[in-house]
Amino acid sequence: MRPLVPTPLIAMISIVVSITFTNIVQADDAAAKAIHIANEVCAGCHGVDGNSLVPTFPKLAGQQKVYLLRELTDYKTGKRVSETMAPFMESLTLEDLPHLAAYYAKQKPAPGVVSNPSLLAVGKTLFLQGNSNTDVPSCDSCHEEDGSGSGKFPRVAGQHSEYALEQFRLYATGKRTNGARVMKAVAERMSEEETRAVAEYMASMP
Amino acid sequence: MNRPQLSSALALIAGIIFTCQAAHAEFKQPHATGIETYGYAWNSPDQDMNRALAHKADAGKGEAAYKVCKGCHKPDGAGLAEADYPQLAGQHASVIIKQMMDIRAGRRDNPRMYPFSGEWIVSAEEIADIAAYLNQLPFPTTNGKGNGYNLPRGKALYLKDCASCHGKTGEGDAKKFYPMVAGQHFSYLKRETRESRDHGRRNASPEMVKVLKNYSDADVEAVSDYMSRLNIVR
Ligand code: HEC
Ligand code: HEC
Ligand code: HEC
Ligand code: HEC
Repeated sequence: MRPLVPTPLIAMISIVVSITFTNIVQADDAAAKAIHIANEVCAGCHGVDGNSLVPTFPKLAGQQKVYLLRELTDYKTGKRVSETMAPFMESLTLEDLPHLAAYYAKQKPAPGVVSNPSLLAVGKTLFLQGNSNTDVPSCDSCHEEDGSGSGKFPRVAGQHSEYALEQFRLYATGKRTNGARVMKAVAERMSEEETRAVAEYMASMP
Repeated sequence: MNRPQLSSALALIAGIIFTCQAAHAEFKQPHATGIETYGYAWNSPDQDMNRALAHKADAGKGEAAYKVCKGCHKPDGAGLAEADYPQLAGQHASVIIKQMMDIRAGRRDNPRMYPFSGEWIVSAEEIADIAAYLNQLPFPTTNGKGNGYNLPRGKALYLKDCASCHGKTGEGDAKKFYPMVAGQHFSYLKRETRESRDHGRRNASPEMVKVLKNYSDADVEAVSDYMSRLNIVR
């Protein structure tokens, strides 16, 4: 009697299955390695689950995956410069980055801390309406109404206001240029008060 | 100061100046020749524009890509009269594409919008998608109007000098890249008409500029008021 499935086919299927299986195991290994790196190398500053406690270290939990990968790649290749981050990026390979991005994107973001509630009203108006006198477009157009971002547009909800203020300073002085570059114009056009107010408002967003 | 010190001080200063310029240069709108230059030809072929025009536009994708524009031009495309943010809803896709490419290339000066118009934030294909999306948005009627004092004069001027290109009802001409002027804000129409007359809008149509040559400011105001009240039946 002829076998139902020809032997060469069985051989082929089993090869395919075993290759796929090895890939899964390898992918799992890489993801596990990323979690290990996150715990051992990054957690000290960014927190175990990406919710950093130190306000100058950005929160990474729930951040957009596409955005995280772009920033990590840019630190690695020197397009985004940070003396603090540089030594920790050195030990990483380009293959680690997508797994780290995926890991942090999956974490649940913790609520931010508002230090000056009296600025929230000004911040909210700027975030949702912009300022047409100085051509600051509304932030919600790119970062979404709830600040959750999408794709290459980062999540800003719940971010530390100290970190956000430092980024605005870097954008305005032309020191952070790796990204889409629109933020330079936004940062340059905001007044000192608007900048502080919108940072507080972003921190207040859940 | 001795020589080596002086020269190193100069080098340092030059370095600082250079760094500052480099930091700002990337945001300075380029300057391409326009109507102020002898031999200027309106709407001459442009690679960026041809890429956008050749793209099979997708209004659905355009809606998503439009997010980087809507902080100024507003979610419904109506712009904002007080800020001279033009109304874009219902405008011809070809016109939106040409104006975007003129701004990117520096043929039309628009420093307020320039940082939000470059390759770094929208590709030529995305511009075509955005144009298709804006084109199918409902035609607005809540645009800013003039004071209405001189409408008969405005009408006479418009029908004599402008309707041949912009159409009797202000509908423009998509194939010829002539903008729809109906539904546009009065303040913006006035500004663009005046700037075109005075060679400030450097990508203007030379034929139109010729027509405007003897227009007084009052004529510009009257014709703009009339244009802002045109209504297209679609
Ligand atoms: C010594 C503290 C420290 C350590 C350790 C550290 N970071 Fe950072 N990280 C920072 C600081 C400070 C910034 C902001 C730097 C800047 O302004 O560019 C930052 C920024 C980032 C950003 C950009 C966030 C954003 O919103 O744009 C990412 C992503 C990131 N770190 C990931 C990591 C990963 C992954 C590791 C571990 C491999 C790590 N960091 C280790 C301090 C640290
Ligand atoms: C035209 C789209 C656009 C608008 C409008 C815009 N942003 Fe951004 N923003 C971006 C993009 C894209 C980035 C990603 C980083 C980059 O390109 O440098 C970013 C980055 C940021 C960051 C840094 C995030 C991080 O984790 O490091 C902050 C903070 C921010 N934006 C706040 C704002 C605020 C506040 C406003 C309004 C006043 C605003 N943005 C308006 C597109 C925009
Ligand atoms: C910072 C605010 C701002 C943003 C963001 C912005 N624009 Fe503009 N836009 C303007 C202003 C101001 C003008 C009018 C400038 C002038 O008078 O020359 C303009 C003019 C235009 C015109 C010319 C309209 C006409 O009738 O000739 C088009 C088309 C246009 N914008 C499309 C866009 C698109 C598409 C985007 C997003 C990719 C965008 N704009 C983003 C402020 C903005
Ligand atoms: C020969 C054809 C022609 C005539 C006649 C003409 N225009 Fe135009 N007009 C154009 C073209 C082409 C443009 C777009 C120029 C460009 O590419 O930037 C334009 C642009 C404009 C704009 C700016 C529209 C926008 O969306 O930015 C206004 C306002 C305008 N014309 C008013 C007038 C008025 C008023 C008259 C009559 C006095 C007139 N035009 C006569 C061809 C014409």
